[in-house]
Amino acid sequence: MHSRQLPLLLSPLLGATAFAGAPGKVPLAVEYPKPLFAGTPRPISLSNLEPAGAKRPDILVSADSKLLSRGKKVTSSDSLPVIGELSFITDGDKTGIDGAYVELGPNTQWVQVDLGASAKIDAVAVWHFHSQARVYHDVVVQISDDPEFKKGVKTIFNNDDDNSSKLGKGGDKSYVETNHGRVLPADGASGRYVRLYSNGNTSDELNHYCEIEVFGVAK
Amino acid sequence: MPPALLRCLPLALLAAAALWLRTHDLALRPMHADEANQGVKTGELVEAGRYAFDPRDHHGPTLYYLGAAVAGIRGQTSLAALDETTLRLVPALAGALAVPLLVILARRRTPGGPGLSEPAALAAGAFLALAPPAVYYSRYYIQETLLATGTLAVAVALRRWGHTGRARWAIAAGAGLGLMQATKASTPLFVAAAGIAWVLSRGAARAASARPGRDLLAGLGAALATAALLYSSFGSHWAGLRDALSVYLHALLRFGAEAPPTGHEKPWPYYLQLLGWSRAGGLLWHQLALSALALAGLAIAARRRDPLLRSVAVYGVLILAAFSAFPYKTPWHAIHFTAPAALLAGLALDALGRRRAGPVLAAAVALLVAFSLGQQTRLTSFLRPADGRNPWAYVHSSRDVLKFRPLAEAARAARPGAPIRVISEEYWPLPWYLRGLPDVGYWSEAPADCSGALVIASVAHAETVRARLGGPARESFVGLRPGFLCVVFQPEP
Repeated sequence: MHSRQLPLLLSPLLGATAFAGAPGKVPLAVEYPKPLFAGTPRPISLSNLEPAGAKRPDILVSADSKLLSRGKKVTSSDSLPVIGELSFITDGDKTGIDGAYVELGPNTQWVQVDLGASAKIDAVAVWHFHSQARVYHDVVVQISDDPEFKKGVKTIFNNDDDNSSKLGKGGDKSYVETNHGRVLPADGASGRYVRLYSNGNTSDELNHYCEIEVFGVAK
Repeated sequence: MPPALLRCLPLALLAAAALWLRTHDLALRPMHADEANQGVKTGELVEAGRYAFDPRDHHGPTLYYLGAAVAGIRGQTSLAALDETTLRLVPALAGALAVPLLVILARRRTPGGPGLSEPAALAAGAFLALAPPAVYYSRYYIQETLLATGTLAVAVALRRWGHTGRARWAIAAGAGLGLMQATKASTPLFVAAAGIAWVLSRGAARAASARPGRDLLAGLGAALATAALLYSSFGSHWAGLRDALSVYLHALLRFGAEAPPTGHEKPWPYYLQLLGWSRAGGLLWHQLALSALALAGLAIAARRRDPLLRSVAVYGVLILAAFSAFPYKTPWHAIHFTAPAALLAGLALDALGRRRAGPVLAAAVALLVAFSLGQQTRLTSFLRPADGRNPWAYVHSSRDVLKFRPLAEAARAARPGAPIRVISEEYWPLPWYLRGLPDVGYWSEAPADCSGALVIASVAHAETVRARLGGPARESFVGLRPGFLCVVFQPEP
């Protein structure tokens, strides 16, 4: 389990009341697409993984936290993807079916969501590709006000345990993609830009994104 | 340039292009499990100099002996020294040879005689040179391309025998047939299809030989001798002859009506879809242009009184029907339809070329088809050769498998003498990638002691393995193939 995972709380987006154990905080509500495992997936029961379809603990967010990324501009190290368009990443379609994901080239690639203005970010949710059991390598998620990510960079997730993507060695664990994607707590990090790296996956050397959602409070 | 050389130039250029497509960057694609398995078997032959035909799980000896021969030429004398290029050169050279063989088979030898005009025959050769399955499986260390090329070689020799009446061509055809049988035990299927096609299409054609019975007997003798030589491992393993027959019993047990499913059962239109088109993950895979032209050629062959072209048409349809009728289907069988399709497409161009303004139109169509095939071959063999959506990359190893070897070498360096354990219900092509490393073991179930310099476990076994490691370990995921993940445990110091 991710070390920064926080206790279960209620949803702010559903208008729920604040969680009694953490005043002012409510659980982040994330809408999950249907499972897309084609065929019978092999059983996965690892201590650092939740079984496919299992609910992960909720993430605490501010009560006024909102989805900030829908329809926002996305740029990438691969500006001309062969399959899909970068706009798919923030279009709200996380079904993972053909025509709903973008495929970036091989090796380390990044995508970057521009929120339009600096925000206090509570969480970042990402769905790479969930129609097959696969693990994306060197997933690194960073937040910054600098579009070049040269200064003021906060890393909220890094599972590049051998620093092969040259972004620094990370201690977070890899995970198998499911329809639940991965919701990463950002602990109120401030930034206008959210950048996500990956370096291929266990099925091929390519990089995919169905959807990215950034939750937080606009400043 | 002498006129004779000038006449040969187009075919030579075509053969050179086919050779380049089949030999360029042969190590580009990771090894498929079947390639790896046969590579390790070839390595055993190279190292020990011995080979024994295994009728249960392997095809005939030809591939391994040819692989060992190429290894010898390249100075590779052990399994550890073998590489992907050495192995894949065998089908690559055979696949390149298929192109001139098809042109020689197809071309008209006498004015008004059977066959295609020279431009149409060359176009047929170009289509085969560029066809996605022909290129893909010429770069793939399995038997299929050898078998397809053997079929063409036998057809060429038989046509020459029919034309010249010389016994040596019947013997050459027999030797080719023996090589086919020693390549794969499915050869009788091709012989039966060719026999039916010949009977249905021969018309009034007569053999030129004065003693056809004697020639055919000589050919049969050559076939038996060649197959026996290889199955007996050149006289060092006579049980191989018995096993060459018992292979059909094993096939019956494996594929018969009472046999359990193999996991490769597919609906009958599978091959038609490969010859047509499919869309997967935003990518379009097709052979539409060649198939459409071949269909036109099929219709023309039905009307034209040409025993050669009719034979090819009937043979192609029969082989396609036979493979479609078997529930067991794998995409590499499609190369057996590719040469007939290329020749029939050439026939359509031949017919088009006879019309007014036909030659120009035929040239334009040929270029269009060649471009379409070339584009698809670039996509399937060079841009996305191991992509799970590529219809020719069947249950293919993912590129991640290339990480296992460096991980194993680093682990051996860190903990010399400690074993490397692979604990998984499926582990090919790992024995290929870990070849030559000492103390590598494979388990299908987790042993009581799972400690080692490096432990590779399937996700199904990972939890048990973790509990039996005997200490903390760094964990990472590495893919074996799409959808099949391994957990790599690297013990912490």
